Amino acid sequence: MQKIKHFLRKVLGLCLLVLSAQIQANASSHREAPLISNDPLADNTDVYAFRSPDNPELITIIANYIPFQLPEGGPNYYNFGEGIRYEIHIKNNPATAADDITYRFTFKLVLEDSTTFFNIRLGKQNLKATYTCEKSTNGGASFTTILTSGMVPPANIGPRSIEGGAGLNTDYNTLMTNAIAQATSGEKIFCGPVDDPFFVDLAGAFDVGNFRPEGNTINPTKDGLARFNVHTIAMQIPISLLQKDGKTGAMATNILDGDYVIGVWASASRQQVKTLSSGSEGFTGQWIQVSRLGMPLTNEAVIPLGMKDKWNATSPYNNEDLAFAPFFINPELALYMDDSQFGEAVPSMYSLRIQKHALNAFDFRNGMPGLFPLKGSPALDGTALSEANFGSILLPNATSPRAVDLLPIFYTGVPNLRPYQLATGKAGDPLAAGKPFINNFLPTLGDMLRLNMSTPATPRNSPDFSSLGIVQAAVLGLTDARFNGDATLQFIPNMDGFPNGRRLEDDVTTIELQAVSGVALAAIGLWYDDYDPNSSPSPVTQNLLNVLSFSAGPTKNDTTFKSAFPYVQTPWRGFDYTKQPRF
Amino acid sequence: MKKISKQFIAALVVIMLSHTMAMASSHREAPLISNDPLADNTDVYAFRSPCDSNNVVLIANYIPFEHPAGGPNWYTFGENIRYEIHVDNNSATTGDDIIYRFTFQQVDEDNSTFFNIRLGKENLKTTYTLERSINGGTSYTVIVSNGVVPPPNIGPRSITNATVGLGASDYNSLMMAAVSTASTGEKVFCGPVDDPFFVDLGGAFDLGGFRTNGVDGLEKFNCHSIMVEVPISTLQKDGKNTTQAANILDGDFVIGVYASASRPEITTLSTEGGKSTFSGDWIQVSRLGMPLTNEAVIPVGFKDKWNGTLPSDDLQFAKYFSNPELALYMDDSQFGGAVPGLSALRIQSNSLGAFDFRNGKKGLWDLKGTAAVAGTALDDAIFGTILLPDDKSPRAVDILPIFYTGVPNLRPYQLATGKGGDPLAAGKPFINNFLPTLGDYLRLNMAVPVTPRNSPDFNSLGIVQAAVLGLTDPRFNGDASLQFIPNMDGFPNGRRLEDDVTTIELQAVGGVALAAIGLWYDDFEPGVSPSPVTQDLLNVLTFQAGVTQNDTAFKPCFPYQQTPWAGFTGEGYVGPRSTDPLPLTWIGFQAERSGKDVLLNWEIANSQNNLRYEVEHSLDGSRYSRLGNVQADDDNTSKYRYIHSGASPAVANFYRIKQVDKDGKFSFSPVRIVKFNPVAGITVSPNPASNFINVFSAEKNISVSLVDGAGRRMAITKLESGNGQINISALPRGIYTVVAENTKTIIGTWRILKQ
Repeated sequence: MQKIKHFLRKVLGLCLLVLSAQIQANASSHREAPLISNDPLADNTDVYAFRSPDNPELITIIANYIPFQLPEGGPNYYNFGEGIRYEIHIKNNPATAADDITYRFTFKLVLEDSTTFFNIRLGKQNLKATYTCEKSTNGGASFTTILTSGMVPPANIGPRSIEGGAGLNTDYNTLMTNAIAQATSGEKIFCGPVDDPFFVDLAGAFDVGNFRPEGNTINPTKDGLARFNVHTIAMQIPISLLQKDGKTGAMATNILDGDYVIGVWASASRQQVKTLSSGSEGFTGQWIQVSRLGMPLTNEAVIPLGMKDKWNATSPYNNEDLAFAPFFINPELALYMDDSQFGEAVPSMYSLRIQKHALNAFDFRNGMPGLFPLKGSPALDGTALSEANFGSILLPNATSPRAVDLLPIFYTGVPNLRPYQLATGKAGDPLAAGKPFINNFLPTLGDMLRLNMSTPATPRNSPDFSSLGIVQAAVLGLTDARFNGDATLQFIPNMDGFPNGRRLEDDVTTIELQAVSGVALAAIGLWYDDYDPNSSPSPVTQNLLNVLSFSAGPTKNDTTFKSAFPYVQTPWRGFDYTKQPRF
Repeated sequence: MKKISKQFIAALVVIMLSHTMAMASSHREAPLISNDPLADNTDVYAFRSPCDSNNVVLIANYIPFEHPAGGPNWYTFGENIRYEIHVDNNSATTGDDIIYRFTFQQVDEDNSTFFNIRLGKENLKTTYTLERSINGGTSYTVIVSNGVVPPPNIGPRSITNATVGLGASDYNSLMMAAVSTASTGEKVFCGPVDDPFFVDLGGAFDLGGFRTNGVDGLEKFNCHSIMVEVPISTLQKDGKNTTQAANILDGDFVIGVYASASRPEITTLSTEGGKSTFSGDWIQVSRLGMPLTNEAVIPVGFKDKWNGTLPSDDLQFAKYFSNPELALYMDDSQFGGAVPGLSALRIQSNSLGAFDFRNGKKGLWDLKGTAAVAGTALDDAIFGTILLPDDKSPRAVDILPIFYTGVPNLRPYQLATGKGGDPLAAGKPFINNFLPTLGDYLRLNMAVPVTPRNSPDFNSLGIVQAAVLGLTDPRFNGDASLQFIPNMDGFPNGRRLEDDVTTIELQAVGGVALAAIGLWYDDFEPGVSPSPVTQDLLNVLTFQAGVTQNDTAFKPCFPYQQTPWAGFTGEGYVGPRSTDPLPLTWIGFQAERSGKDVLLNWEIANSQNNLRYEVEHSLDGSRYSRLGNVQADDDNTSKYRYIHSGASPAVANFYRIKQVDKDGKFSFSPVRIVKFNPVAGITVSPNPASNFINVFSAEKNISVSLVDGAGRRMAITKLESGNGQINISALPRGIYTVVAENTKTIIGTWRILKQ
């Protein structure tokens, strides 16, 4: 903690400066086309990180690339690109300046029979991909090869290509299983096409917020990614390789041990100069990051268009992400949950309304003071909001209301400190000590998916398992008699869910929309407007129920997941997959 | 005619010889264009307009598999790409006779949102410039500038909703408003449309797993289309219109069409997420004339090269047409047995008891130089050197001309009708799209009349159906005279949107064109079989590749293609409203400086049961005290004002309004903050800054300095008049502190960000 504080002191000063400067920076718009949408091979679509449900000592990290792969998209089916560095970055120590672990994947393609236009014929496969995985544990200064000639399974074209005698004469799951490899340093690795595990009603989300919650009777929701494949890089890594001191999961002091937090993000980089000639291309120059992803939906629904390309090229380290902090402390999405802004114009989100007078005092709408009126008050002493702790980040000024909740969720992780504990046990004072429910604090001030590896995994077949992740853990901790008796630390199901890491099942779109509408604030006792501390019988008011029962669209993937590594599902088969409307 | 043929006979012989070698030098590259969707040309169409027969419609489509809901960054044409439609109308000229070149520009109208369309503003809004060359690309003339590309058809909130979207009456109105007329008379449209192509991708590319009930792999995908509708007199080499055509197969009315996309040779990525920069020559990265050439004819080892090649260099690929890979799957001595999906298609191995057209066989070679072919196209004095090059290029007689030269109205390329059993005799004309440039073009004879789309004879099998009618329908099979047979205006004589080119091409590889001219299938025995329309022929004619029509209708007139699929359809969901125990709604609350006072204005809706407003003030945002009361009105004005006199000199003043109901309940307005600068009237701008910071001060004779993060003074200036400027263009990017001092003390500091 002492070290963290020292580190923080370094960044605090800078943070303050940048936060105040950024209110202006908003206006300096540079007008660019979103580059990565035109470079699908390098387009990082999702990152997942979760404690493996079938082995508590293993963490699974998944980075997906190449969106919207039509299963029958031949004759040249999708594949990883040559000339691209696909990387998974891991931070386990905020005191170091760069990656603590970097995994770098590079791919090679060969044609086994260039005389046919078919991808697979007579046992031969064209555009057959293999890969090399290198690992760095010194911030990228040097890399060691930990896997060579890794196999990427072919596209799941159809029965003639895979099982047929004129094809590969095998079956697809054998190809997939055989492609799981063991790195020399102990990681298990799979690279290849899989069902895209993400689910979202794309048209609902992006038709100016035309969300269709699951189960609504007006207009059934559509999973815009149904029946599409992606290319995945999946790794299963022992906790002892990820924990900064080499400790195993069993050695954690408790289930929220702050020494077990990792930050994960993925990227794709290309060389700076591409030279075309007739029928071929070549690459030279330094490597340029063209895509990155840590927290889901950051660059879809938080960063505005004018900054999206820049976001992709930026590192989450060295405070570079602070340039984007204004979009978290006053998020665009919040405008649509605020009747004094555009709230009235977005009917699908009527049930999401940000607190404008929580506890008759606090207004968290964009531009409002939030908890700033408490700044410097003795009531904050000993909380994360005090100036001695993190007040300069969390309460920077009177117009940054969400620096207190959304900014830490995306940029630092949430500490197990007052007021970031459930209202259970707080006796009505949000600043009092309450029931711990999360600690993924890794204060690097950058966008990463942060996972506390010491938090146990919720079994996927448990009746308590929920795709609402931490939101559901909070609901149980506030309302379920098994967990809401007192403020003691205990495992609440789904404490291992988003935003504490991200499981394949987690409905991150819904969770993030709920978070923007203030559900995390409510969880810690800053209740919705229809709760009157003097007269309301329960803080679980209709407004809170509205938020909790909102869903952004589909709440689960269009197929199941595997029960063991790589967990993601076999890719849809081009020849005969069953269709499902995508829009 | 003779002159032309001599020219390329020499070329052809040389190239065909060298090609046996080229086969070994395969360069192994990834099919590049599949990774560059913006430049990926998906289809080309050329047909005489069913709406105005004086015009020909040229369509080039790009960007495959556009998910209608593929936001937040919907697909659009790329900047720094040259999208081109090339027209050749004269085989005596080298290169293109007419080129249409489209280039696109994009602007963001509101880059502060992640939505593509919001509040009437559109991001990535695209316009285009159309240039035309009529001298082989030597010079271009701009014929459309600032052409409008309609937005993506996102959904009703984005398109028709007037509050949050564009407020259009419907999407179609945006589309029709984007149709423009070029200064040279062409009608032009560029924008997203339903992808008109249809094919069972999943079946076709699973090793030829064709099936009767195939799945349209392009169902409900959009693409981006470039379309021009051109007067025939503009396209015809001598400026003629069709009333001046000698007949409906006038050879002077043939055009060859292909489309391409080119990019600059060198792309340099920005190191900071900015736009890439481009330099160097333009490199052709995609091209398309005849459908499916590069999908199903050119093998994977040559696909990238094919895309980078001009049609004038196409002879290197001729061998894939004279012995096509697909033919291996229609030949039981090769892989025919292994591809049940094509079992209905069996190439003639013993046509008329004599001719074998399977890959590597002799085809019509035995006739070479004989008296029988004298005067036919197969005569060496005419095109025999091309059509019968050697004894193992059987399809140089049918597939090669269909793709590379067009089919002449010469013996033996006439229907068997009227031939009396001799395929080399004169028969009934059915096609003449001969433009012998020896390259892959979509060739259209513009003199051929249009088959009305609502005619019962209209058929997506194009020329194959015209042949069937010419052979079997009593309206057309009486004699060999030239007459219009429905669908003579169909593929491969041009290509209509409706044409089922996948089926037609597979039938062609299956030998249907040979059968049409009298080289019947193996089960026809001359003198024995009652009719040449045998079971084998019927099998071929009833074969279909799995999907025979588009997944939606076409428009009857320009732009013919259908409105793009909307990402969102149906009614919008309306969520349950949050309850607010407080009846009133704060519409607005402003606080602003007025000299040393602060003016507070607020407006209220739903003002019921409302007693009074208490104006509260705080110096720290935490502890508030009441300044005064304002009684609530019950009338309709509901606008209130309060003046806080003497608010200055407090640096920060916090205000909120406490609304109190008659029953004692109360609520608070949002908090407003008004600041008075303790440094009398000094402003520092802009922030962030790139080149200069301007300092304005009411006080004279102050000095202003710039201090970096390490405490070093980087610049200093004295403001004698009160105004001044500091040049920061040479300073590294980062945070700096501006310090203003008078003779006694520091009077203010500001943080600025150097970008």
